Amino acid sequence: MSVSPDLAQMLRAIAGAHRVLARPGELRAYESDGLPGYQRRPAIAVFPGSRDETIAIVRLLAETKTPFVARGAGTGLSGGALADDVVLLGLHRLTRILSIDGENARAVVEPGVVNASLTRAATPFGLHYAPDPSSQTACTIGGNVAENAGGPHCLKYGVTLNHILALTVILPSGEIVTLGNADGECDGYDLLGAFIGSEGCFGVVLDATVRLVRNPQAVRTLLADFMAVDGAAHAVSAIIASGIVPAALEMMDAPTIQAVEASIYAAGYPVDAAAILLIELDGAAAGLDDDVARVEDFCRQAGARAVRIASDPADRARLWQGRKKAFGAMGRVSSHLVVQDAVVPRTRLPAMLAEITRIGIEQRVKVCNVFHAGDGNLHPNIGYNGNDPAESARVHEAMTLIMHACIAAGGTITGEHGVGLDKLPYMEALFTPGTLSAMCALRQVFDPDRRSNPGKVVPVHSCREWHAAPSARGKTE
Amino acid sequence: MSGSSMMPSSVESVIDLVRAAHDRRAPLRVVGSGTWLDAGRPCTTAAMLRLGALRGIVAYEPGDLTLTALGGTTLAEIESATAAEGQWLTLDPFGAPSGTLGATVASSSWGPLASAFGTPRDHVLGCEFVTGAGDLVRAGGRVVKNVAGFDLVRLVTGAWGTLGALTEITVRLRARPELDRTLIVTIDDNSPSNVAHTAWRWLRASDFTPLAAELLSPGLSAALGLEPRACLAVRLGGNEAYVHAATEALAHVGELREVSEKLWPMLAQSEPVAAMTLRMSVLPSRAGYLWDNAVTLAERHGGIAHSTLVRGVARCILPANDDPTLLSELRRSMATPPEGITMVGERLPAPLWPVLDRKRSTAKLLDGVRDAFDPAHIMNPATAGAAT
Repeated sequence: MSVSPDLAQMLRAIAGAHRVLARPGELRAYESDGLPGYQRRPAIAVFPGSRDETIAIVRLLAETKTPFVARGAGTGLSGGALADDVVLLGLHRLTRILSIDGENARAVVEPGVVNASLTRAATPFGLHYAPDPSSQTACTIGGNVAENAGGPHCLKYGVTLNHILALTVILPSGEIVTLGNADGECDGYDLLGAFIGSEGCFGVVLDATVRLVRNPQAVRTLLADFMAVDGAAHAVSAIIASGIVPAALEMMDAPTIQAVEASIYAAGYPVDAAAILLIELDGAAAGLDDDVARVEDFCRQAGARAVRIASDPADRARLWQGRKKAFGAMGRVSSHLVVQDAVVPRTRLPAMLAEITRIGIEQRVKVCNVFHAGDGNLHPNIGYNGNDPAESARVHEAMTLIMHACIAAGGTITGEHGVGLDKLPYMEALFTPGTLSAMCALRQVFDPDRRSNPGKVVPVHSCREWHAAPSARGKTE
Repeated sequence: MSGSSMMPSSVESVIDLVRAAHDRRAPLRVVGSGTWLDAGRPCTTAAMLRLGALRGIVAYEPGDLTLTALGGTTLAEIESATAAEGQWLTLDPFGAPSGTLGATVASSSWGPLASAFGTPRDHVLGCEFVTGAGDLVRAGGRVVKNVAGFDLVRLVTGAWGTLGALTEITVRLRARPELDRTLIVTIDDNSPSNVAHTAWRWLRASDFTPLAAELLSPGLSAALGLEPRACLAVRLGGNEAYVHAATEALAHVGELREVSEKLWPMLAQSEPVAAMTLRMSVLPSRAGYLWDNAVTLAERHGGIAHSTLVRGVARCILPANDDPTLLSELRRSMATPPEGITMVGERLPAPLWPVLDRKRSTAKLLDGVRDAFDPAHIMNPATAGAAT
């Protein structure tokens, strides 16, 4: 064990006896996140109940030079919140919404506030929190900040980065800093921007000032179904190129539709379709139906068999539930699921979907696609039996081939899930050694001892190279 | 080395020049086209690294709504390339269109379109830069959504070249709206703060999101050929039904007059070449209070002001002045800003810059970032907006 044996006792003194877990059996629940392929057991898990306790814990970890991993709801899909024999700092009890300012459309929240609860609390003000990861009924704002989380509606409204005005952060050293300025402009380097998406490697959020968005006057949700995946992909390209910015533009292929329809999340999707598009347009009522008509035309021109518009809010909610719970529905099909998060330029979608199908056939695995088509953000996923080594190896090989194909198409390896542990092997295919070194250098500024979420995001050996590189060159002279 | 000027024509030569400067501890002033040279804290070196020859569009796929260009590419070039496809880069910083993309991003400059589309940090998808140690970094990518690795793109956006010289940038584009209409709204009220508050309230509560909504001081209105009174310049974009309905809604706020969309480039270039520019910002709901303070300061110094209401920001443009009484008065206003107002300098005489320095909880982080990316502190030393 990499942590001091007395540590659990010291943590209990801060958070209370019941809020510190140290027995292997108790820690099993914290071995995984939303991606079941990885298990790492923490040495200790501690769950502070207040800001002061959190500060005291981070400072104790600093004094004892203990590595730690902050965790929200554990819904992440990159293995990013796994603590490998170090301290796991669970923040899901910090659930207070400290203030909502309806006039200025913003709220100040603790890191453990659940994404969907924030929107619920903002509803009386006619506002909502726009980033809506599929796990929004469970995931926390602190985790969203760490991952720079996205979601279907980020196509129009932007990702977490675009919705955070300021953060109070405790650095791994125990120092507390304010990033950004909630009450005006901020000059100096954009440390707020650098912190968002740093996957817990730069520090722990104590509170976040978030931007809320006015609820749209009108919403139209369309379901378009296609007899060919290629047609759906071309419809996406046509809509994006037209300049209409849907609030969301999602695609699901046949295996996904069938899994959803066979589950309790059945949404009434046509089970014989090769692909469906779920398209939402929102905003002022004036002019909205003109855009809806154009989108409908693009779908029909690309070969849509039918396009229907959700008849009422309940119908709309049902269409969305099928999409948002799609990964959950896959759980019925197989014991294990691997999900990727690559992004390709949107004009490359038709070609990339064809390539993914080809790889699936070649590797004899069943690849399902359910993804944010409007952003080019693919989520190819494969259900499999993790206890079958041969099948697991084929799944791994297929995913590797898919990721490299996306990189070759000018894309990236993650659009919203983060690198965590899962995408570490692809970082060197995407970035030059100089760029990885620069990332390490930035991490070093926030966490010189590299105790906060060690071993994630940037391959460790890239950081080793950094020390012989620029800054060292500057300082040795 | 002081006073020299280098104009590399390839990224490799930028690397060589920066490495040589780093090894000799010889400071460099990173320059795009040089149009905005006076923007920012006067740099304490005259040796110029001009990036104007690193110019041209590297990749533009209209269907992807993304564009990659070399750092020295002018905004005018991007404008003309994208207009041909019915698209645009929704960044309209103040100054001439001969300003470069690199400078826009490095200085995080924005204009009225930020009301709807945000600032450079919301547009930049990826970039390539040469650090102060002469290392080449390629951050981000060419896709519209990307969380791979730590966000070096946000870090160098607005860093005023102090972490590295931007050699290539990928930005997000948007389709130009079907209709693009500019309206002048005159609100019938003699109190400047009431005018600002009324305008803000409409913007806050409306179902319409104008592309831009800029409150203009009487002096600025006059300079733009409008009636010399405060007014709200609104840019509406969308399909016909939308623009029509938004226009009708605006008619309830004040008297409307449609003007040419040329108003916007005129506004961007309305300030005198040698002016002092200060930005004030506050919680957006305090629009009236902000506007009162901005107009008072501007008029006291014979200047003009405008406010991007939804962002809670007002810009005061004051004619260059060496009257010691006025300057010491300005120094006092800056040293003790009105309650709740943050002041940020854009262009100021050298002695006024230190007045804006303030204690920050992030001082150590800012210094650490500078040391990590520019260990010898040779890039734009003492430049505004950066850690100094």
